[in-house]
Amino acid sequence: MSLAKLIRLARRSGRIAEPAPERPEPLPDVPKPLRGSVQVRHVDAGSCNGCEIEIGAAFGPVYDAERYGARLVASPRHADVVMATGVVTRNMEEPLKRTVAATPRPRLVIAVGDCAKDCGVFRGAPGVVGSVGEVVEVDVEVPGCPPRPEQIVEALRRVTGR
Amino acid sequence: MTAVEWGLAGQLALAGLGVLAALAAPARARVGLTGVLSALVGVAGAVTGIVVLSGGQGRLSLSTSLPLDPMTLEPTALGGFFMLVAGAVGVVAAVYSIGYVHGAAAARPVLAAFPAFLAAMQLVPAAGDLLSFLAAWELMAVASTVLVLAEHASRAEVRRAGLWYAGMTHLSFVLILLGLALLAAHQGGTSWAELATADPDSATAAAAYLLLVVGFATKAGLVPFHVWLPRAHPAAPSHVSAAMSSAMVTMGVYGLLLVVVRLLPGGPTWFGVVLVALGAVSAVYGILQASAASDLKVLLGYSTTENTGLMVLAAGIGLLLREHGAPGAGDAALLACLLLVASHAAFKTALFLGAGAVLSASGQRDLDRMGGLGMRMPVTAVTFGVGALGAAALPVTVGFVAEWTLLQSLIHGARPGDRLIAVVMPVAVAVVALTAGLALLTFVKAAGITFLARPRSEGAATAREAPRPMQVALVLAAAVVVGLGLLPGQLATWAHAAVEAPSAVSDTTAIRLARIDAVLVPLAVATALGLAVALVAALASTAARQAPRRAVDLAWGCGGVRSSARMQYTATSYAEPLVRVFDQALRPQRDVEISHRDESRYLVEQVHFRQSLHDLVEARVYDPLLGFVMRVGAVGRRIQNGSIHRYLGYSFAALVLVLVVVSW
Repeated sequence: MSLAKLIRLARRSGRIAEPAPERPEPLPDVPKPLRGSVQVRHVDAGSCNGCEIEIGAAFGPVYDAERYGARLVASPRHADVVMATGVVTRNMEEPLKRTVAATPRPRLVIAVGDCAKDCGVFRGAPGVVGSVGEVVEVDVEVPGCPPRPEQIVEALRRVTGR
Repeated sequence: MTAVEWGLAGQLALAGLGVLAALAAPARARVGLTGVLSALVGVAGAVTGIVVLSGGQGRLSLSTSLPLDPMTLEPTALGGFFMLVAGAVGVVAAVYSIGYVHGAAAARPVLAAFPAFLAAMQLVPAAGDLLSFLAAWELMAVASTVLVLAEHASRAEVRRAGLWYAGMTHLSFVLILLGLALLAAHQGGTSWAELATADPDSATAAAAYLLLVVGFATKAGLVPFHVWLPRAHPAAPSHVSAAMSSAMVTMGVYGLLLVVVRLLPGGPTWFGVVLVALGAVSAVYGILQASAASDLKVLLGYSTTENTGLMVLAAGIGLLLREHGAPGAGDAALLACLLLVASHAAFKTALFLGAGAVLSASGQRDLDRMGGLGMRMPVTAVTFGVGALGAAALPVTVGFVAEWTLLQSLIHGARPGDRLIAVVMPVAVAVVALTAGLALLTFVKAAGITFLARPRSEGAATAREAPRPMQVALVLAAAVVVGLGLLPGQLATWAHAAVEAPSAVSDTTAIRLARIDAVLVPLAVATALGLAVALVAALASTAARQAPRRAVDLAWGCGGVRSSARMQYTATSYAEPLVRVFDQALRPQRDVEISHRDESRYLVEQVHFRQSLHDLVEARVYDPLLGFVMRVGAVGRRIQNGSIHRYLGYSFAALVLVLVVVSW
């Protein structure tokens, strides 16, 4: 697409991002290096992909979480926050622990969705180790099955404080 | 007797004592005694060289039973410079040998060859006539062959390397003999002074020049006569490779300088063009092969080809510019040639000796199996690193000083009006720039993969620091690399004297090329660099204080664990992009074998990747040539098959033939 076409498209479609909702109450004890902006590494510990679709939407143009200083990155070495979804399955227990350990301290862990919070409908299923909170230390939980993008954005805004 | 004569006689006497000690001393003292005497041979050579360079003169005649003039040793300033270089290398290599030599290399003939080899290298530049030159040259060739073959009993590749080396070095000898004989027959004398009266424009001089250039180029390891270098260096013990690469190979450069500066000065333009072309091709080809090599000593061997290529390029440029109206830049180029000789001797000694320490400590020559040696062998690591800096021609080393001088002469030699110079100079600048860039990559690889990261093999993991005499030699070599890099003035003064370049003046700290208006003060460069580094370090530490350090508990392994040392960067993977870029020139052979699981073709069981690099020149030139020679040999073998009846038949046939011819 040429630059002129791109500009024309942007002018035609106008602003599609939702207007920013009221700023939520920031978390009380966010470490100083994380205030204002965080880099997020997402780990699917055994999710049904419902939460992934909603996270994708949260970082898409409509909800645009990057407006509030949160950004998805490809490696935990670049990340401040680990965002885990789904129940923790047997095969993903060790990788999840290692991902969190490979994230530089101070770091935060956000558990997204009911499965990550308390195993949801999969509690007691074979191959399930437990919720994310039972495997690593969790700082923020986002309920919902799946949670709405607004809720995910709100949790991130509570971390960045914007 | 003058000081020079004492020095020459002293070298001969000490070498004789060294050989005697190697053959007759009791086994326990043999290695140490020979090493000390060899070091003294080197000291005598270096001191004699310095005396000659400071204006000393002398002439030592050795009469022979041949019906010829007596052999004379009469070093000039040019010879003195090479004597100094060979002597200094000899001292370091001999000290190193005291701690290094053991096993097969401690056998009496091999030990005895070393002092003889050192003395021969110092006598080649001292020779004042054809006969003594050839005698010293042949002694150098034979002694070095014995040294290359030291481990022939235990390693098959040493025997093959010995054959290649003996063949190539004698090819070189024969060509030099022919070239000098041609000149001598034409002029009717054997001393250099008599040979120098030949008319350089005559056909005889042209033929002799070509023969001599090929002969000396073979010794100097220039492409396409370099094939022995990457074979002989890995085969020889490391102190021998150091002496061979740093001093013996540069005797080829001495030979070339002897021809173009003393024997046939003021020759036609193509004399210089031949040297420039040979040098440029060798420099680029050598460093390309070195950058792709993964055997440490093969890498250093090819890098020697690169360095001699640069020296010969500088010599050729010097000739061209002196003839084409830029004598100032021409003198600078010849000066650069000698500085390259000295710098190559210094850093290549450090590198080969360091490689020897690594080899004997880890038992590995393959770079892909080293790693982590920096922690285990700190002295070797630092000295090898200094050598690598020198080879990459970075500041505060003598390599930088030499390449700076070369580039200055190339830049100031530009003559837009002269068509030949207008073409040659930019090409030469491009060659030097490409070579310098690739040399940096090559030596980052050589030092980084060897000494950093985690050990890639059992041998590298259990390596120990080298014994004390080896450490002393390594530190000595590294100190020379940095010392001459910071205070190159004295060296430059000697080099001026050697090439009779009146234009340049130097004091201890600086090189001034007065006629092309260029000054280098390495101490100032070093100070500026030091300040820059200090500034960056201060900024970095301030920034670190403001942002608290964020600790990581675990290295990231994509959710798994990176425990295998084989997952690290290796020499082969480091060179991979380069090999791809120069695919056409290097022609690597790659084999990929994929085996599938029985259940399904879509499941891969194993992937086998193999890559090998063959020398293109060898495959295209030498293999067909050797095949032809072997076929001719096979025909000859049919005539001479060992049957006594057939031989009797031959002599009968010959007798009949003679009778027929006589009775005709």
